[in-house]
Amino acid sequence: MKSIRVAKRSTVGGPPSGMAAGMLLLALILLSAPTGAPAVEIAGTSSTYVQSRETAGGSNLMPLYEYLNFSVRDMGTGNVSFHFGGWARYDLRDDTFGTDKNSDLQYAYLSYRKAQSDVVLNLGRVMVFEGVAAERVDGAYARADLKGGFGVSAFGGVPVETDNIEQPGNNMEYGGRASHHVDNVYTIGFSYLKEEKNSQDFREEEGVDLWLRPMNKVELLGKSAYNAITSGWMQHTYNLMLGPFQKLRLNTEVSSIDYEAFFSGATSSVFSFQPGGPIDPAEKVSILGETASYAFTGSLNASVDYKSYNYDIAGSANYYGARVAYAVAKSGGAGLSVHRMDGETNSLSYDAYRVYGYKKMGKADVAVDALAVLYDAPINGVDNAYSVSLAVGYDLSEKLKLGADVEYAKNPDFDREVRSFLKLIYRFDTSYGKGKGV
Amino acid sequence: MKNKTMILIFLLCLPAMTAVLYACASTKSIAAWHPTEVTAPAICSECHTDARAAMDHTADFAAVRHRFYAAQNSRTCGVCHLDSFCSDCHAQKEELKPSDKYKDAPERMLPHRGDYLNQHKIDGKINPASCFPCHGRRNNERCRVCHI
Repeated sequence: MKSIRVAKRSTVGGPPSGMAAGMLLLALILLSAPTGAPAVEIAGTSSTYVQSRETAGGSNLMPLYEYLNFSVRDMGTGNVSFHFGGWARYDLRDDTFGTDKNSDLQYAYLSYRKAQSDVVLNLGRVMVFEGVAAERVDGAYARADLKGGFGVSAFGGVPVETDNIEQPGNNMEYGGRASHHVDNVYTIGFSYLKEEKNSQDFREEEGVDLWLRPMNKVELLGKSAYNAITSGWMQHTYNLMLGPFQKLRLNTEVSSIDYEAFFSGATSSVFSFQPGGPIDPAEKVSILGETASYAFTGSLNASVDYKSYNYDIAGSANYYGARVAYAVAKSGGAGLSVHRMDGETNSLSYDAYRVYGYKKMGKADVAVDALAVLYDAPINGVDNAYSVSLAVGYDLSEKLKLGADVEYAKNPDFDREVRSFLKLIYRFDTSYGKGKGV
Repeated sequence: MKNKTMILIFLLCLPAMTAVLYACASTKSIAAWHPTEVTAPAICSECHTDARAAMDHTADFAAVRHRFYAAQNSRTCGVCHLDSFCSDCHAQKEELKPSDKYKDAPERMLPHRGDYLNQHKIDGKINPASCFPCHGRRNNERCRVCHI
């Protein structure tokens, strides 16, 4: 195995905040409550993983992960529910990223839903997807439909983000969205977001989002976002979808991104581009893409895609390829894809190939996946990377599944790498939300 | 001064207008979960002929389109998906790649399969904006191991 130097830094974060710890306690109380109590339904999934792998630095890792998510419905009334998701890790061998344990509270909130007007009120650690906002806050989120096709939403709280340095000052975030829609014709939204970090303005964004369906089989969707701090448009990104015409669908994507405005609100230095660096901070890119897909049958689909990147400063790049996918629900499938990234230089160019297959056989399932990437310019003296994985699973019962996979790989960091993964999935009360996908 | 007065009047009237519009609204809320089981990939147009038909989970849905629908109407996502489904990729802090957790589902469009440590040096230069939604302000502790 080759070795590369990896700088070790302690991870940011540490134990959950006081609010998160409170939510965790509430979760434990709810889980320990007698399940025979009338009306209350508890359902969720416990996923236990053990991964075995070696790092490029030579450490042997065997982290044990427990992912837990559950929902408690019908708490007193049918309108109130509680939702929880989080994970914890403990290392059975060497430390992962310098710590032998880690955890995260992904979400934990009390939710009130009304049967009319799509009224929703969430309190706790909530995820917010509203126009320019794709956030996670310790706070509140609310929305409601109004008369005449109008709708409003608002959120506020302490942003849940990573930070390079301690932010002792005020950290808060709030925003909202107003929208109007005409059923099956259009939805347009205007959104606003402001974030203060360490008592300083960190982000202030305004945006427009649009979904337009002027006629059957013609659909336009996209959004524009404006950075009020840098006084510049962050991005415009729109997709025109046509079809299906018989079995053909066409999707055209047009985007433009101004790097100075787009990347200004980052908490990682990787997005702080410097003049003279590999990415110019004044860069702007226009992206034009086209995907054409054809469904030969309900199970067999083929597509070709092309995307061109035109930069103001750097040279242009093109990404194109094709894929074929075959899938039969609850039975199995297979797929094949070939793509080419054609960057400005050889060091930004590669070919990527992938083939996979999976099959469900009674209580057992098996999946294989093989990937290969051929670099135009060698990395660490190696001009290709490939990996092959084999996964098997078995349903011990309707609620309990055992799975294992092994992956063999060769890449610029490893002459030979073998990873293994064990998992035990337990779903409690599968009757809840039987239609839920995952 | 006149402009400020007008803005103040507008701001005072806005909550009242919202309250009136809300009081008059009586639309039925979207279902909390899908009434029938949906098998993947969900082809909504097999049953729906209205706007919901546009949400067919075709090959470009995960890669391109889903973010627009979520930004406008995430409640619709919640009809079939739990919050944990979103959190698998859109994480505050995550150590396991989604494709490592779901090697038994190779048909799913999951990011960073295979040796992405080296490939990201190329993709990240070609389009860093595609990295930013997941790693710009969250889930970037591993970025800091090298990008100090």
